[in-house]
Amino acid sequence: MAEFRNRTPVTALVVGLVGFAVVAMVVDRRSAPGGPERELSGWTGAILDIAAPVQKMISFPFDLTQNAWRHYVSLLDASDNNDGLRARLAALEEENLQLREALIASGRLARIAEIRADFEVPMLPSELVGVDPSPWFRSVLVDRGREHGVHSGMPVISEHGLVGLVTATSVRASKTMLVLDRQSAVDGIIQRSRSRGIVRGRGTSEMDFEFVVRGSDVRIGDVVISSGLGGVYPKGIRIAEVVSVSDPGSALMQTAKLLPAVDFGRLEQVFVMLWRGPTMELLYAGEQAGDLGVMASEGAKP
Amino acid sequence: MKRVLALLALGGLAPMIQGAVGTFIPLYYCPDFGLLLVVGLGLCWRSTAGGLVLSAALGLIADLLSGSLFGQHMLLRIFAFGAARAGSQQLNLRGVIPQAIFVCVLTVVTTLGSGMLTWFFAAGPGVNGEMLRELIPHALINGAFAPWGFSLVERISSWLSEVDSGHQLLHIRPRNRLI
Repeated sequence: MAEFRNRTPVTALVVGLVGFAVVAMVVDRRSAPGGPERELSGWTGAILDIAAPVQKMISFPFDLTQNAWRHYVSLLDASDNNDGLRARLAALEEENLQLREALIASGRLARIAEIRADFEVPMLPSELVGVDPSPWFRSVLVDRGREHGVHSGMPVISEHGLVGLVTATSVRASKTMLVLDRQSAVDGIIQRSRSRGIVRGRGTSEMDFEFVVRGSDVRIGDVVISSGLGGVYPKGIRIAEVVSVSDPGSALMQTAKLLPAVDFGRLEQVFVMLWRGPTMELLYAGEQAGDLGVMASEGAKP
Repeated sequence: MKRVLALLALGGLAPMIQGAVGTFIPLYYCPDFGLLLVVGLGLCWRSTAGGLVLSAALGLIADLLSGSLFGQHMLLRIFAFGAARAGSQQLNLRGVIPQAIFVCVLTVVTTLGSGMLTWFFAAGPGVNGEMLRELIPHALINGAFAPWGFSLVERISSWLSEVDSGHQLLHIRPRNRLI
């Protein structure tokens, strides 16, 4: 009896803490990506704000060494690379000229210029200061937060393609879920054939492209871009390249393996698009979140 | 109180260090300092209730810095603390090898638990082959670092208890140390 009395407070504490953790997970799941915005404040925001400079400080000597080495190595074959790039530039300029001529001839250049003005989104250069402390999740911490205009639901890109989505912000830092994360799903299309599918993260360095077998044309080497249909990411951002296509057998859905356009192992600088897609805007509006939860098929898995 | 604050600060710093190190090397080659700290607490912290609360707090800090669901690391840290507590009472965890094996197994179990929680709450793919391939080196590295991690927790804990009480503790080192 005495032993039972002694153990009761600990048992109650365990039940309380486990209950809190489970409720926190359920609430968090319901709020991602819609519902209440993950704008961390108070002590939770302070931890993220502290983490960014601490991680920057820890990684500074490694960064310095790595950069010095990379620059030295890249100098070794800079001359050859330069010649190759000049030749490629000339070829691309020639191709660009021909395409412009074709567009002028069809009278579509002026219209494209108007559309481009509508689509130009301000981008905020940000530095990646740390990665997820757990090897089983793919997210990164960047050194820009609410005071720089960054909010949850904003897409993050690099010069090579789509990086991910801002999922939580503090005053001076923000957390970005990478497209590699197991919770990530992006509506994509094959650039060549316009076949549509879902790009799903696997938690590793590769992703899956799930598409309906009937009427789809997906081949090795095809480039997958964002379709813009989910209302989370803008249309036309390069996501990945198809490296293998599975045999569908009699299944309705087929899966292709993708290699991301962005080399996440070498990612240092990213650009936060200071823009939220229509779905994100509606979902983060608050009251309407419950009604529109079904639209959140892109950004995080349903 | 100083002990709790110091271990909280250390536990808060652990995922930050891991996050910074992860920009240079794959994280599965890096020991999980947070897990080692919590298991160390389970083995040498006197108060079970205090250790539980501390482990849960360390899990919450990891949740804030990680892309996991809020509460996921907290739940796994509570489990790790409980397993270490039960392990210290039921198993012979004296010596480097039993401790390393215990942490290896605990790493595997908590990782599989993490995969299952992601699958259950976030409809992720759960545990896949690639995850298992990465898990093996991660568990081995955690196991290799476990004795040092526990020794560090024990030293900090005993040093800070001296500071807290204002008395010098008499250190008696038995032939077969528990930790």
